[in-house]
Amino acid sequence: MAEAPTGNEVTRRRRSRSDRRRSTATTRETGVWYPKAYWPSFAAPGVLWLAVWFLLPFYVVLSVAFGSVDPAFRLAEPTFQFWWWDFSTFQETLEGFYVAPAIYQDPAIRTLTYVIVASTVCLMVGYPIAYFTARHAGRWRSLILVLLVAPFWISYLMRVYAWQSLLQPDGYINDILGVVGVEPILWLSGKQFTVILGLVYGYIPFMILPLYASLDRIQQSHLEAGRDLGAGPARTFLRVTLPLSKQAILAGLVIVALPMFGDYYTNDLLGSDATSTLGNMVDNAIVQAGQQPAAGGLAIVLMVLVLIPMLYYMRETRRAISRTS
Amino acid sequence: MPRRHPLEFSRRDFLRRAGGAAVAVPSLAAILAACGKPDEPGQTGSQARTLARPDKPVTLELNGDPIGADTPIEEGATLQVYNWSAYMYKKVLKNFEDKFGVTVEWTTFNNMEEGIQKLAAGQVDADVFFPTTDYISRLAQQDLIQPLQHALIPNMEANVWESFWNPGPFYDTGWRYTVPYTIYTTGVAYRRDHISDSEADAQGYELFFNQGAAGKISYYDSYRDALGMMLLRNGVTDPNSGDPAAITAAKDAILEMLNTYGARLTINGTYAKLPEDEYWVSQSWSGDIVGAKWYLPKGTSTDVLGFWYPEKGLIGNDTIVIPKNAKNPRLAHEFLNFFLDEEQGYVNFADWNGYQPPFTTIDPSALIDDGVVPEQLDRAVVTEDMFTTAYIQGELEPDIDDLWLAAWNEIQAGG
Amino acid sequence: MSDTAITAPTTRPSRVATRRGVFGWVRDPWRKPRFLQTLTWGYLAWSILPVLIAIMFSFNAGRSRSTWQGFSFRWWYQDEFDSLWRDQDLRRAMVQTFRLAIATVVLAVPIGTAFAIGIDRWRGRISRTANFAMLLQFVVPELILSIALFLLFNKVLKDLFPLGTYAQIVGLTTFQLSYSVIIVRARLLSIGPEYEEAAMDLGATPGQALRRVLMPLLMPAVLASAALVFADAVDNFVTVRYLSGPASSEPLSVKIYTAARQSPAPSINAAATVMLVSTLFMIAIGWFLSRRVSKGDTSGADAVFTGL
Repeated sequence: MAEAPTGNEVTRRRRSRSDRRRSTATTRETGVWYPKAYWPSFAAPGVLWLAVWFLLPFYVVLSVAFGSVDPAFRLAEPTFQFWWWDFSTFQETLEGFYVAPAIYQDPAIRTLTYVIVASTVCLMVGYPIAYFTARHAGRWRSLILVLLVAPFWISYLMRVYAWQSLLQPDGYINDILGVVGVEPILWLSGKQFTVILGLVYGYIPFMILPLYASLDRIQQSHLEAGRDLGAGPARTFLRVTLPLSKQAILAGLVIVALPMFGDYYTNDLLGSDATSTLGNMVDNAIVQAGQQPAAGGLAIVLMVLVLIPMLYYMRETRRAISRTS
Repeated sequence: MPRRHPLEFSRRDFLRRAGGAAVAVPSLAAILAACGKPDEPGQTGSQARTLARPDKPVTLELNGDPIGADTPIEEGATLQVYNWSAYMYKKVLKNFEDKFGVTVEWTTFNNMEEGIQKLAAGQVDADVFFPTTDYISRLAQQDLIQPLQHALIPNMEANVWESFWNPGPFYDTGWRYTVPYTIYTTGVAYRRDHISDSEADAQGYELFFNQGAAGKISYYDSYRDALGMMLLRNGVTDPNSGDPAAITAAKDAILEMLNTYGARLTINGTYAKLPEDEYWVSQSWSGDIVGAKWYLPKGTSTDVLGFWYPEKGLIGNDTIVIPKNAKNPRLAHEFLNFFLDEEQGYVNFADWNGYQPPFTTIDPSALIDDGVVPEQLDRAVVTEDMFTTAYIQGELEPDIDDLWLAAWNEIQAGG
Repeated sequence: MSDTAITAPTTRPSRVATRRGVFGWVRDPWRKPRFLQTLTWGYLAWSILPVLIAIMFSFNAGRSRSTWQGFSFRWWYQDEFDSLWRDQDLRRAMVQTFRLAIATVVLAVPIGTAFAIGIDRWRGRISRTANFAMLLQFVVPELILSIALFLLFNKVLKDLFPLGTYAQIVGLTTFQLSYSVIIVRARLLSIGPEYEEAAMDLGATPGQALRRVLMPLLMPAVLASAALVFADAVDNFVTVRYLSGPASSEPLSVKIYTAARQSPAPSINAAATVMLVSTLFMIAIGWFLSRRVSKGDTSGADAVFTGL
């Protein structure tokens, strides 16, 4: 978000004056008067909606995780009164990560592996593509953009399903490999490679577009300045382009990696129990007798796992903003 | 250009805001304090109930009155059927719709645990449900199913084996809540073009550990069937065993099969994938392998399908029940009666799902001659006497069920 | 016009002999970066081709979705029980898909737009908390949100509000709210408050300024977010699966997901194609409308559609 200083000071000053005016909202000096509750009333439906359907359900998750089960069918009986919360089941769930037989350990390690590898591949492959589209595409740019955006509008499910068809033992991938003399490979029989490939395939558009947007905005003048000062193409890239796109890289990683923690459907479609993720553990537990509190506990763990990078990202963004403004 | 970045934030801000959100919540909890404290688990029921076993038949208590025999049939209704997928012939459903002028809506579940969970949690509204026998007692006791009005289901005494209505099955003597749907054994299906009959006979359950079939093995994604068969393979004669060592051994066997021999857990391996040569060995209910012939690709003969079943293996039957809160109970009774009709039930079996109904009108020995069951699948035919000798899985005590589920959990986590 | 001085000039100096053919492409000193170009086009093919092949297989004559067995409309309308048009189940699912999508758009876009406008202008603690909650909801894995809502409906609202279509609409709206907010917010930020201030300087009331000045400027973003919310609601299968009740409340996406885990017939490919076409159609309408509304000021519409 770098901007050359082009007389924004005047605009900024004007904005801050009207800001103050709006926040006090009592003066009629320039006719810009809003009733105190004007803007809040706009936001109110949304706030209410989020409060009821977003925040409240999380409390229910906690109540289920720290609750009990009914004796007959062993479905969860949530304990809504937080002073009666029972943490023993949650403790067992946590112990499932490190105390033998540590059934959650392998899925957890696999999930981390998938997220790290898939996000990295998305970045490594996505960045050059975004770079090419932003800087070198020329007259093909609009077409490439349309094709890049297309996966957004094509259902993730359909794309992974299409992949699943290709990876069937009698699918085209094996057919092509057969031409080179390779035996048909059982791609869908629990191979981590397939799952990671599926994740990359599914999530890479989310990486490319923010990168493209940022690279597109990098002004030519910066690159020219670097060249003028004697840097070759490689150094210009490393010292100018890359740092300027750092925020976008972070944004892309956040958009790609965080949802991946809860991805269970990619493994459901392309893998097997041997390649299951934490998301699969939650998905399985929620319908199993006596396991619903465990599902709630795992959901809490996942939430925490997601919040930490999110916090880091927000702090980084804030620092970047304060650095440039 | 933005005057203030939307993501302007600091960790302190975040904690403050999260705290703000958290403060609002306990006040809601105070409102909910009107709800009482959850009681300690189960004074009601589970201890007072004896578990049904073939040698200890159980008569379920009536949790209400069945509907009157003169209740009118609900006109133009939509009958909600909750069943496994691919388990009923759509043509038979259409016949039912045409006969009564109604619509049938079929909601599916992937395995029994999921089906029971959703029904018990009230997540699905069903008029008709197809549970396995080990849940009947709990369903009745928890008021989830209703007693049947026998007068509305005359086909039961007309067509079904007498053992199912006089005195009635061990899990429901007097057939107060259930009618039988299909009978089946659980064995091992295999491709005869890759594994000869003699090899299959020699190996039996060891087919799952056959190196030649590695990577082409499928096993049921249902914990009772999965662990149950491995118990038998390990020589344990009680398919309801609560012996932790036996359960662990069964679990380890499954893990070995999954990890070393590349087996996959799936519910439709036999009828969907084996005919397409994707699997060579699969755990199979007898109906699955008989019905598999409908999934063979064009040009493949039914000769490739094989089924192995030991002298004493697993046997069972599925039932049809009517949930207590069914919106169309009278129509539901007609539905049960319809599937017990000798013709409709037979067509459902012979032309579609391959699962034998326990009809007196069906002569098991004639099935092969009539071409319904291919000759090499003769072990998939179920006869009445098999019910006296084979192993039947029944309901487990909660703590034993926990052992089984813990083992299953470990398997699902990929070991 | 960003690639001028540094990258290739738009016209080649005449004294450099232009070389034709592959040899020329490789040796041409004014060529685009060969590796990046190959990578980009290769990626695009890899990205789009599988979907095209899947659509092709919906016209397969046999039951397979991986081996071509001839062309036919069997799975579209010919097969008596299993084709997309004749299978009651799939037909109901199609209706449900559109029902959910439209209802979600009707709910999420107004609430989201109002929320964006309100949050943008309102200073205060609650505002920032709400903003944070909204962003959180954007990055939280859908599974967690779905589980939370499922437990809410299943344990708390059991008798008041059963699982099914209404629950699905609530879940979808909650999930899509942040998309709407983010898009509208981005546009708001680029518009700035000057126009409204100018309007009010000229005597308009706040309501008039909003209606006559801000909303038309915001329309492209609102339409874009409507298209996006529609597309996402059609494609959503995690939340709707958890919140579904009886079979009639399962939209196409859930049917595809369930079938894909078992043994799908090409009628599932047909169902997915229908989903795809309807989404693209709505996107096209949204884009077209937003261009018309912005009356030539194309930067807004395009930026909003691609600048996510």
